[in-house]
Amino acid sequence: MNKQKFCDAEERRLHWLVNFKLPNTWKKIGWGLLFLSFALLILTKFFEGDYLVIRSVLKKITLLGLLIVVISKEKIEDELVENLRGKAFSFAFIIGVVYVLVQPLINYVVFLQLKPEKANFEDLGDFQILWFLLVVYLMTFWFLKKRNA
Amino acid sequence: MINTLKVERAILNLTQEELAQKIGVSRQTINSIETNRYVPSTLLALKLSELFNKPVNEFFKLEEND
Repeated sequence: MNKQKFCDAEERRLHWLVNFKLPNTWKKIGWGLLFLSFALLILTKFFEGDYLVIRSVLKKITLLGLLIVVISKEKIEDELVENLRGKAFSFAFIIGVVYVLVQPLINYVVFLQLKPEKANFEDLGDFQILWFLLVVYLMTFWFLKKRNA
Repeated sequence: MINTLKVERAILNLTQEELAQKIGVSRQTINSIETNRYVPSTLLALKLSELFNKPVNEFFKLEEND
């Protein structure tokens, strides 16, 4: 394989990787996984027992469901949709960073006012951050789509 | 940037949906272009040019602040 062909193949691979999306039918699977795991996650709150491992697995399935919804194509995936995706991703990323920086501070101040003995400065967990990022992305994307409808 | 897409579409007697199908985008995309909420790519502009049989700058025009 000569140099040019190698570069072309690399370019094609990179293009595929950067633009990778699941077919539209996966969106339903994503929603199904999301609702099912989220419902089970809430149910574990109402029953007594040691659900630490189960809750951890359910949280990961919830995130997986959300991710599938996020990377599934729209019915018509054209350049406007690509453009709106880009805007929604950048907005969610910026809001996500602000959330990670500000939320622990707010938690601390609120606890300091209500229950000073429980007030400690704790960082957010990975589930909370990823959940927030994906939900903000989806909400922004829907809002932008609705605005352009 | 301003455009006269709506006029060109009316000349060909096409609905937004029909125009969208002809150039392979959604009706929302055509609506967004017509209402100046979205500036299309060169590729899409050239597809429109081919369909309307006119140069791109006849239906897309720069404004003073562009």
